[in-house]
Amino acid sequence: MIFLATPSPIGVPGAGIFSQPFLLSLMVWAPAIVALGIAVMPNPRGRYDTLMKQIAFFTNLGVGFLLFIAYNQFQNYLPTPQFEEKQPWLPAIGVVYHLGVDGPGMLMLVLSTIVGIASVLGSLGVRERVRSYFALLLLTQSAVNGAVVARDMFVLILFWAAATIPVAVLIMGWGGPRRTAATWRLLGYWGFGTVALIVGTMALYSFTGAKTFDMDTLLKTSINPRMQLVVGLLMLVAAATRLPLFPLHGWIRDVTAEAPVGVAVIVMGASSRLGAFLLLRTLIAAEPAAAKLLSPLLAVLAALTVGYAALAALRALDVRHVGGYLAMIPGGITMLGFAAVSPLGVAGSVLSMFAGGLSAALIVGVCAILSERAQTRSLLVLGGLAPRMPNMTWLLIVAALALLGVPLLASFTAELMTFFGAFKTQPIGAFAVAAGLVVAAAALAKLLYRVLFGAANPDAPGVSDASLGETWFLGLLAGALLWVGLFPSGPKIPGTDVPLFDPGLLNQMSAGLSEMASSYTLPTPTLPSQ
Amino acid sequence: MKNLVFVPDLLVVAAALVFVVGVQLGWLRRRRYLPAAAAGVALVAFLFELWVGATVGTYFGGAMVQDRFALFAKAAVLLTAALALATTDWQAEDSLSIGLAMPLLAAFGVMVAASAADMVGLWAGLELAAASATVLVSLRRPDLGLRLLVAGGVASGLLLIGIAFVYGTTGNADLTAVRSVLASVLPTLPLAIPVLLLLAGLAIRANLAPFHVATFTAELGASPLGSGLLLGVVALASALVAIKLAAALVGVSAVYAPFLEVVAGIAMVGGGAAAIAAHAPRARLAYLAVSQVGWLAAGLATHYRAGIGSSLFLLGAFAVAATCGPAVLGRAEGGEMAIHGLGVLRPARAAGLALAMLSLAGAPPLAGFFGEFAVAAAIAQSGHFELLAVGLVGWVLGLVAAVSTLRVLYIQSPLEDARRGGMVLPMVTTLSTAGAAALCAVIVAYGVFANPIMGLADQGAEALGLR
Repeated sequence: MIFLATPSPIGVPGAGIFSQPFLLSLMVWAPAIVALGIAVMPNPRGRYDTLMKQIAFFTNLGVGFLLFIAYNQFQNYLPTPQFEEKQPWLPAIGVVYHLGVDGPGMLMLVLSTIVGIASVLGSLGVRERVRSYFALLLLTQSAVNGAVVARDMFVLILFWAAATIPVAVLIMGWGGPRRTAATWRLLGYWGFGTVALIVGTMALYSFTGAKTFDMDTLLKTSINPRMQLVVGLLMLVAAATRLPLFPLHGWIRDVTAEAPVGVAVIVMGASSRLGAFLLLRTLIAAEPAAAKLLSPLLAVLAALTVGYAALAALRALDVRHVGGYLAMIPGGITMLGFAAVSPLGVAGSVLSMFAGGLSAALIVGVCAILSERAQTRSLLVLGGLAPRMPNMTWLLIVAALALLGVPLLASFTAELMTFFGAFKTQPIGAFAVAAGLVVAAAALAKLLYRVLFGAANPDAPGVSDASLGETWFLGLLAGALLWVGLFPSGPKIPGTDVPLFDPGLLNQMSAGLSEMASSYTLPTPTLPSQ
Repeated sequence: MKNLVFVPDLLVVAAALVFVVGVQLGWLRRRRYLPAAAAGVALVAFLFELWVGATVGTYFGGAMVQDRFALFAKAAVLLTAALALATTDWQAEDSLSIGLAMPLLAAFGVMVAASAADMVGLWAGLELAAASATVLVSLRRPDLGLRLLVAGGVASGLLLIGIAFVYGTTGNADLTAVRSVLASVLPTLPLAIPVLLLLAGLAIRANLAPFHVATFTAELGASPLGSGLLLGVVALASALVAIKLAAALVGVSAVYAPFLEVVAGIAMVGGGAAAIAAHAPRARLAYLAVSQVGWLAAGLATHYRAGIGSSLFLLGAFAVAATCGPAVLGRAEGGEMAIHGLGVLRPARAAGLALAMLSLAGAPPLAGFFGEFAVAAAIAQSGHFELLAVGLVGWVLGLVAAVSTLRVLYIQSPLEDARRGGMVLPMVTTLSTAGAAALCAVIVAYGVFANPIMGLADQGAEALGLR
């Protein structure tokens, strides 16, 4: 409807064919339906294991195709959500099946799809109970997509909570030796976060008296700053358990170390980014008074998270633990952008959700593959692997550079925007985060030196380089980081401003962002009248 | 059309009598088709109820009433009975004829309570449902049957004393009249005592913690269907009676609301915590059911239309999962080892058990989650955030327990025959497979089609005169 009501800037071939209200539902429910199909498919003695893997891969590719269409038809000059679907679901309590996507939502969908494809490729080595594994992986992806496009708090909670169970079962069923502890920790922390989210939502529902969970009403009804603060704190707790932020990060070490590679990638790449996305929707965009009051706390959490993660990575002797701790750093940077409560900082945070998700997935994936290929996780044993693992060497270097935000990678643009925004309003916090990044650089340098360039250990087990599938999935994550870093506004036909096939993630991301950050725009100084 | 309203009631009673008498007298020879016939009767009654049940009216001089509340409750119990009869492992039951008849009679008891317009009708319906379950328990374990009879007697006594006191105070047994009299009465201690006695009696029947200890051993020791009836149908009957009484006593809600809040909190957290500690699948199911009954009570404690409508909506989801959970588990009722790898050995039953357990734990996106969320919204609207927080803690504990069972069902490898010992797997028949698949579909569809179902539940609460 929105598509028809607004003028189209350019006559895009095929425009309008996917504006019918089913596109987002298809992206959310298709993986779930395929998962159910896989789960009931007969698979005597694993005869169709390869077929299951292919089905999961092509389902992800299909979702990717739908996203490509939506991405290209997305009108980034509109501040309102697009491809909206709205049906009453539980009218007695005001629940609406309301889906829609705006700029940050589109960015999260792109992230979720890339990470989804990478996680399936990273799981090709799974040999046990293949049917159940891929069914659960697809359910996880479905839940993440659902949480991203939800425009009703009930729908958001539904998918947010639904993502927990398949991830927990995946870790418990296919994880490493300490998988049981990892599962309970994940359930405990994520469950606690979900409780905070539900209580926060219910508080909002009760305080506003809106009698609806639709975000368009619930998050736009004004409440007094004290109530905003209570709701904001609850949302912060929910976000901190997912992203994760210090001190609610207790699950990350065990989960990233024990989960199978594909699961670790989807958890760190997409599921955990939902924490930042939730904070954007419910605090930054909806409760400006609370966001301003909480901004010093956000800055402290950002600094503590980056500092703790860097120090813990420096001290850890298990390569997968190092990967897990380092994967916390992008979350801290995203939080710093929110703490800035300025348009530039918020924009940086949104881009950092994407870049941080890819970086976190990449470092966790590289560390996991490295430990598998080197047959040990101990940094005391690993050494001098660069000549024997050229692919992994490059990928580990790209992951390290992405975490530090060096130019030519997407994280550079994100960190630049975040720090420029934050140094204005939260200089101490920004300085502390920058100091934490210096320690992180030291930790990464130590890791690279020890694992790749140090002296080879003659007693270490034999090593082999990443397989083609592993290189592909890690390369996909690295490639996406490079692509957005090189072409943040999309590639153009030389000599013109006409986009080739990608309108640019930065452009798409901006749809609706200025409205979200409008409360934080500083007043324009006026000249004294003469 | 008006006179057809009681056809579903007549159908289930007639079928129950035919199964008891017919098998005893040798009229029904093809015994293998009898479970399908019983499930078919309940299904036809369910469809008939949906068709003719929308006709609103009063019957038997105002003693029975057919309204949206009765329609919702009757449809819920008939669907539950149909699914339970279809999924039951009949090799694990002690008597086919009694096993077929008792769920139908229990359903009839619930239908009587749902239509009752006075307190006597409520009591009669509840006792009929409870007696049917007691018969099934006694078949396997007479000692537990006796224990249940004593506990039931105490519950019934408390209920009757409470009813008598309320009758004495208001001078009327009719629910509408009680409601109008109490609307102008201030809550006093002499009124509070009978109301609390009423609730205590109902709490024993409904397995509301800590009163569940009275009947819990019987639930664990009964046959699968007997356990399902006790956990699901009898609790459903008690909750329906509680809802009707709460609507009638809404004028003195200050008397019962604090009591319900406390026991709801205990049930929600206690049930979840005990479910984690329990390892036997049936005990875990039972504790999860206790936890969900806590949510039902929390909805009642709000004593508003939104809360009671939400409780009614959750009640439908609860009845299906709590009754069919033990039934689908069948003979695999020993310790946790009995269901090791059930996902491979009995995929349909394992899926039914997993979904029933997840629904009782309130896992999204299943029936129980939708119901619990609706209750949570009502609790928030009434401003009881402490109760909401306690309930959500119980919810997380329940989820952890349910995930533990998923691990055993799907991740543990099946035991070799030598290690299985006396533990028997549930039998597989076409009916049980179809029943388990239907159970899965109902638990999933309850959330997907929440709009019409919740709408009906809300109309049911409105029919009780709540605002």
